[in-house]
Amino acid sequence: MDSATVYVLAAAVLFGVGVHGLIVSVHLMRKLFAINIMGSAIFILLVATSAPISGQTDPIPQALVLTGIVIAVSATAFGLALMVRMCQETGNASLAVEDEPENDD
Amino acid sequence: MTGLALDLLIIASLIGLAIQAINGASLFRGIIHFVVLGLAMSLAWARLDAPDLAMAEAAIGAGVTGALMMIAYRRLIEIRPDHDNATRTPRSRLALPIALASGVLVGVIGLAAIQAEPLPGQAGIAVLETLESTGLGNPVTGVLLLFRGFDTLLEITVLLAALLSAQAVTRQDDLDRSLTTEDPDTPLIGALLAIVVPLTVLISVHLLKAGSQETGGAFQAGAVLAACGVLLALTGRLASSRDYSPLLNGGLLVGLVSFILIGLAPLLYGQPLMALPGVWAVYFIESAMMISIALTLVLLFAGAASLKRRSRG
Amino acid sequence: MSPTESVSLVLLLAGCGFYLAGTIGLLRFPDVYCRLHALAKADNTGLFLICVGLAVLSADWQVAAILALVWMIGLLAATVSAHLIARHAHGAGREPVRPRPDR
Repeated sequence: MDSATVYVLAAAVLFGVGVHGLIVSVHLMRKLFAINIMGSAIFILLVATSAPISGQTDPIPQALVLTGIVIAVSATAFGLALMVRMCQETGNASLAVEDEPENDD
Repeated sequence: MTGLALDLLIIASLIGLAIQAINGASLFRGIIHFVVLGLAMSLAWARLDAPDLAMAEAAIGAGVTGALMMIAYRRLIEIRPDHDNATRTPRSRLALPIALASGVLVGVIGLAAIQAEPLPGQAGIAVLETLESTGLGNPVTGVLLLFRGFDTLLEITVLLAALLSAQAVTRQDDLDRSLTTEDPDTPLIGALLAIVVPLTVLISVHLLKAGSQETGGAFQAGAVLAACGVLLALTGRLASSRDYSPLLNGGLLVGLVSFILIGLAPLLYGQPLMALPGVWAVYFIESAMMISIALTLVLLFAGAASLKRRSRG
Repeated sequence: MSPTESVSLVLLLAGCGFYLAGTIGLLRFPDVYCRLHALAKADNTGLFLICVGLAVLSADWQVAAILALVWMIGLLAATVSAHLIARHAHGAGREPVRPRPDR
C-alpha cells in the first residue's frame, strides 16, 4: 500500500466522521468543527490523488487547496459570528429542543 | 517502511482527534482537539510534499481558526456560564448509514482516481514549464498570482465579504468586555510584546519575500501578522472601537484594490486582463494582500468595526 | 551508524523521554500548579534536547542557530503563558493541593 492510497482512505474516514458529526451534534460550534473536518478530508483527497510531474508535486491542486483553506476560515468566522448572535438573541447556541425545560412535548 | 508507519501514525491521530473534537465531553476540549487536528493536518501536508499547505494549515487552519473559536467560546460563556452542559446528542437512526455511505463515496472516488493511473495534469505541466520565464521560483505562488489570478482575487473578496457579513450580524453594543481582561498588567507581558511583536513582523515579511522563490506567501505572512494583532488585542494594547478610521479601512481594501488595478492595467497596452506585468507586480500585490488579510483576520477576531490604540499608564 | 548520528539519537530519545514525562505529569498531576510545573520544566528540557540533537545531526552552524532561536522563542512563550495561567488561577482563588497530614 503506498502513501497516496493510505491518505485517500484517511480522507474517506475523515469525511464520514465529519458527516456523522454534522448530523448528530446539536451544538453549532461542533457542527462547524464537522464542516471543517469534511473540508479537510476533501483537501487531502485533492492533493493525494494528484499525480506528480517529473518528481515535483503538481502545483495546481496545492494552490486550489490553499485557496480552500482561506475560504474555510472565512466561512467559519462568519458562522461563529452568526452563532454568537444567535446565542445573544436566544440564550442558546445549540439546536437541541430538549434543552429547554419549559418546552412541553 | 518508516514512511508508511509515520503516515499511519499521522492518519490515526487525525481520525482520533476528529472524533474527539466532535464527540468529546466538553466544548472547550472540542476546540483544543480541533486546533491539534489542524497541527496534525499540517504534518500530513508535509508528508504529502506540500510545504506551502503545511505552513498555511498551521498558521491559518490551526492558529487563526483556533483563536476565532476560542473568542467565540468566551463570548458564549459570558452569555451563559453553564454553556458546556447543553451538548446532549439526539438519537438519529439515519446518521450512521449516511456517514458510512458518504465516506465510502469519497473513498471510491479517490481510489478510482488513483487506480486509473492518472496522467500528470496538463495545467500543472504548463505551469512548471513557463515558470522559469516569469522569474518566480515557487510554482504555488505562480499559480496563485500569475496563472489563476482570478481565483486569488475572488478569494480575498470572499475574505472581505466574510468580514462585512460578520460585522453585519454582530451586535456592536457590548463587545468591549470580551476582549479585554481586568487583570492588572504584569511586567512580563510588556517584555513578551517587546520581543514578539518585532519578531512576528520580521517573520511575516520574510515569509512574504520568500514566497516568490520557496515556501511562503501572502496568506501565510498575513496569518502570522494577524497573530501579532491578536496578541496586541488580547493584552489590551488594541481595543475595539466604533469610530471610523480611514487608515484601517484603507488597509482593509488595499489588497483587493491594488490587485484589481494592476489586473486591469494590461488592458491599456492591449494585453489580456490580469496578465501581470512582472515580478514587481507580484511582490506589490502580495504585500498589499498581506496587510489586508492580517487586518481582516484581526477584525474578525475582535468582532468589531474598528480598532484603536490604547495606551497603558 | 556514525558517532554524530549516535550522539544525536541519544539526545533525541532523551528529549522524547522528557516530553513523555511532561505529558504524563499534565495528565496525572492533581492541580493546575503541578501541571504547569510538569509542562514548563520537562517540556522545555525536552525541546532543548531535541534541538541539540537535531543541530548535531545537521552539523551546520546556520541550522544550529535557527534551532537555538526556536528553543528560545519556545522558552519565552512557555514562560509567559505558564506565568499568566498560574496568575489567573491564583487570582481566581484556586488553592494548591497540599499533601494530606496523615502521610
